[in-house]
Amino acid sequence: MPAPLKVVIVGGGTAGWMCAAALVGALPPGVCDVRLVESDEIGIVGVGEATLPQIKEFNDYIGVVEADFMRQTNATFKLGIEFVDWGFKGSSYIHPFGVHGKPMGGVPFYQYWTKALQHGRADAIEDFCLPIVAGRKNRFAFPTTEEGGINATFAYAYHFDANLYARFLREFAELRGLNRTEGKIVDVALRPADGHVASITLQSGAVVEGDLFIDCSGFRSLLMGQALGVDYEDWTHWLPCDRAMAVPCERVGPLTPYTRSTALAAGWQWRIPLQHRTGNGYVYASRFLSDDEAAATLLANLDGAALDEPRPLRFRAGRRTTSWARNCIAVGLASGFLEPLESTSIYLIQIAVTNLLKLLPGPAIDPALAAEFNRLMDVEYERVRDFLILHYHANARDDAPLWAHCRDMDVPDSLRRKMALFQHRGHIRQYKDGLFSPPSWLSVLVGQGLRPGHYDPLVDNLPYERMTAAMDQLRAQVAGAAEGMGDHAAFVAGYCPSPAAVRTPEGAAS
Amino acid sequence: MSRPVRSVAIVGRDIAAWLTALGLQRAFGRQGVSITVVELPSMLRAVDVAVGLPALEGLHRLLGLDEVEVLAACAGVNVLGQQFANWSRSRPPFVHAYDSQGAAIRQVEFLPLWLRARAEGLTVPLEEFCLGAAAAKHGRVMVHSPATHEFSKARSGYHLDASAYVRWVRHKAVQAGVRRVAGVLDGVARAPGGIASVSLAGGETIAADLFVDASGPDAVLAGQALDVPFESWSPWFGCDRVLTASGPRLAPLPAMSRISAFANGWVGMFPLRDRTPVIAAYDSRRIPDAEMARTAAVLTGLRLGDAVVSPLAVGGRSALWTGNCVAIGEAGTGLEPLDAAPLHMIHVGLSHLITLFPVDADQMIEAGPYNDAVAAHARHLRDFQIAHYRLNERLDEPFWDRLRAAAPPTPLAYKLDLFAARGAIALYDDETFLEENWTAILIGHGLIPRAYDPRADTVPRDELMRSFQRMLGFIAAEVRAMPSLEAQLDLLAPAPSSYAF
Repeated sequence: MPAPLKVVIVGGGTAGWMCAAALVGALPPGVCDVRLVESDEIGIVGVGEATLPQIKEFNDYIGVVEADFMRQTNATFKLGIEFVDWGFKGSSYIHPFGVHGKPMGGVPFYQYWTKALQHGRADAIEDFCLPIVAGRKNRFAFPTTEEGGINATFAYAYHFDANLYARFLREFAELRGLNRTEGKIVDVALRPADGHVASITLQSGAVVEGDLFIDCSGFRSLLMGQALGVDYEDWTHWLPCDRAMAVPCERVGPLTPYTRSTALAAGWQWRIPLQHRTGNGYVYASRFLSDDEAAATLLANLDGAALDEPRPLRFRAGRRTTSWARNCIAVGLASGFLEPLESTSIYLIQIAVTNLLKLLPGPAIDPALAAEFNRLMDVEYERVRDFLILHYHANARDDAPLWAHCRDMDVPDSLRRKMALFQHRGHIRQYKDGLFSPPSWLSVLVGQGLRPGHYDPLVDNLPYERMTAAMDQLRAQVAGAAEGMGDHAAFVAGYCPSPAAVRTPEGAAS
Repeated sequence: MSRPVRSVAIVGRDIAAWLTALGLQRAFGRQGVSITVVELPSMLRAVDVAVGLPALEGLHRLLGLDEVEVLAACAGVNVLGQQFANWSRSRPPFVHAYDSQGAAIRQVEFLPLWLRARAEGLTVPLEEFCLGAAAAKHGRVMVHSPATHEFSKARSGYHLDASAYVRWVRHKAVQAGVRRVAGVLDGVARAPGGIASVSLAGGETIAADLFVDASGPDAVLAGQALDVPFESWSPWFGCDRVLTASGPRLAPLPAMSRISAFANGWVGMFPLRDRTPVIAAYDSRRIPDAEMARTAAVLTGLRLGDAVVSPLAVGGRSALWTGNCVAIGEAGTGLEPLDAAPLHMIHVGLSHLITLFPVDADQMIEAGPYNDAVAAHARHLRDFQIAHYRLNERLDEPFWDRLRAAAPPTPLAYKLDLFAARGAIALYDDETFLEENWTAILIGHGLIPRAYDPRADTVPRDELMRSFQRMLGFIAAEVRAMPSLEAQLDLLAPAPSSYAF
């Protein structure tokens, strides 16, 4: 067998430890020799506490036991994201991890719903979506795999403490032979011949060499940005929020199996329920709000007592123009930042790791592999970007300049065409790679207040009465299935109780 | 206020016109949309054959066509792939089967394992690990078991007598309520942004909200009336003419098409139950028609009759849907009669038109996404065809030297580079052929990746060899157990040579 590929991971946040765990957990021994370098002095950002269902595939793939991981990270289940006051003040919708209804005659359910709407019925699309109905009742159960069954129509993700997740993955990786080096990086040496990264030098004077470097150094982008000088493409003209205040608070009230995002005057506030506390943050545009005002607003909008001082974060929406340059791959914040509105940060780390595993190079790195990695990552970032912009752009709020600005701004052509086609006839295209699938787009398009002018003409092949009967039957089926699920807090307490968990009366009840 | 589409006129002929008619009738006829075929004189000849991919089964289901009936009515044969011979002087023929190759070992994909074993001296070709290819070479009917399902994705494509197929589909379409008006086109009346009506010589004028141009290469609406430019793809292709003829039935019947390259093009055999259609695509500047006919007979070893020739223009219209006119099939996209591409383009055009059937006769913004998706399919099929030519190894023949040297379109160049580097396939949206298809032809034509997934090196060598032996044994046993095409035909009633309605 050839010598193992020497991989050096720079930085030990969520990105660094996910890369490390995947490389040692998923690869057979002897393929890679992995070293992670991190400094205890440098804190990790770790705002990404809410995830998408793909994280479960990642955990399963590397061999994580779900209940252990949930217990150790104070995790709870997540069926979707609630968006409050986004389309207009007073509105609420959930972007679910599941589908709205079942297709009939090969046509998506929402096309029938649109026809019913145009004929004067007032069905809420949410009533046909099990994870939404269950979520709003704070219920949870595992999905089944029974084909065509109502309980097979959803997936789930987690809320967890990202610092604890990084620690969990560190233990996991170290047990499987990962070498960790503590130290602050003071120098990066490039090979004169081709500009590849040759080594990094630590404050101790130690020099770490490698064949492949993975830059997980966060916003600083030590290798990709600083050493290799790869440009940053700025997307703030579409996503103007550039700061956040984050603070945990006491957990009170029922344990919601969903993340909440509430639109505010200059941005939005997240609420992420964990077993031991609730994570909160205000993501805002500094040109519309001062830091002090943001902190005050955040503290005034908590469900329980604050457990800390609000911690400020600064960022710039956008990404490095190249994700893999020479022998260096940027993962996580080192490669770009998209606000956590749709819980995509950890997904983008995961997909980078997945693509790296698929295109794992030998010691002489073939540029064709880097090109393919970049092509795949470009698709991912741009599709997430468009999805986020939609939330801001399609709004009917008239209470603050941020919202007027976003409504009036030019959006990418890809998004403009998508919205136009949806408004014309409700068509949503399914693409091969990348987030998000049509049900996700549907929930946000409809949630933000867009309605198709027409429905798919194939809908008219089903007689109206049969269609409405099928809708009524489906609504009842969804309601029944939601009723059949247990309480989320009780489920978590039984399945994966963390020693730090707070037991609220609601949680103990059922 | 919007105005729904109440009438569709399909102006054209043959397979494109009648498949589209039946598809639209079944999708929208029930709600009162009238579907009229303005049938222009057929361009089909008795020798013509329709070649379909496995995906055609899905279209037939949508159209309510019974598989057994279609096959019986059209002297049809289920084929498992296409064999390519003589595209290289030194390489043996290979089969592009509609199937995957091998199985993963310890979660390592098969191709890198095969590449490693090959680097270590294995001489067994990739296609030996492909159940569909083995079944094709043995003239079998693919019968899946739970074990084969896990190992293989093998599916069957089609050879159908083209005239019989048109008769069958037209019969079903008219039965379903499609109106048929036959004649010779006399005039086309334009409307702002599209077409108002078409009129036939000595008679009727047909107006419609939506027009489909299914007239074949003539493109009487999209090309002649609307002047939508046709972009030639000739820099990557060398053939300008197609000769079609027919020979006696092969016995035993092969379960695949056979495409054999020669100095100035290729000759393909597409066996049917009762005869063997032969298609030759060639460069008429290098070989005259008469000589082509003789060469086709020599190359196939068949006594050929009824040879007819037609021009071949490979390319695509800059927009397939313009105003209220959608070009389906060869009216919009010209591809070589290779890889079952022409029939598949009709399928893609029709299925997208059903999905994006316009909701407002005055504002057909569906044209945008339709053009994006269908044109992308066409370009990807084109690239699949170009790959055959680009990778040819017929050295010192001017026809082939030029095609080997022509720089491929960028997406294909990218695909070939990535495969050469690593054996990975870059797949885009709207691709007809998937990893296994690209892998089959790229390896078959001799593009052997210079590196592979390093995980392949972690499987112990003896385990690798044992697993390979097991796969080969499994394939041999499964193929032995499958019925032959001949045996299956014996079970069926003798196929009538033609149907009259």
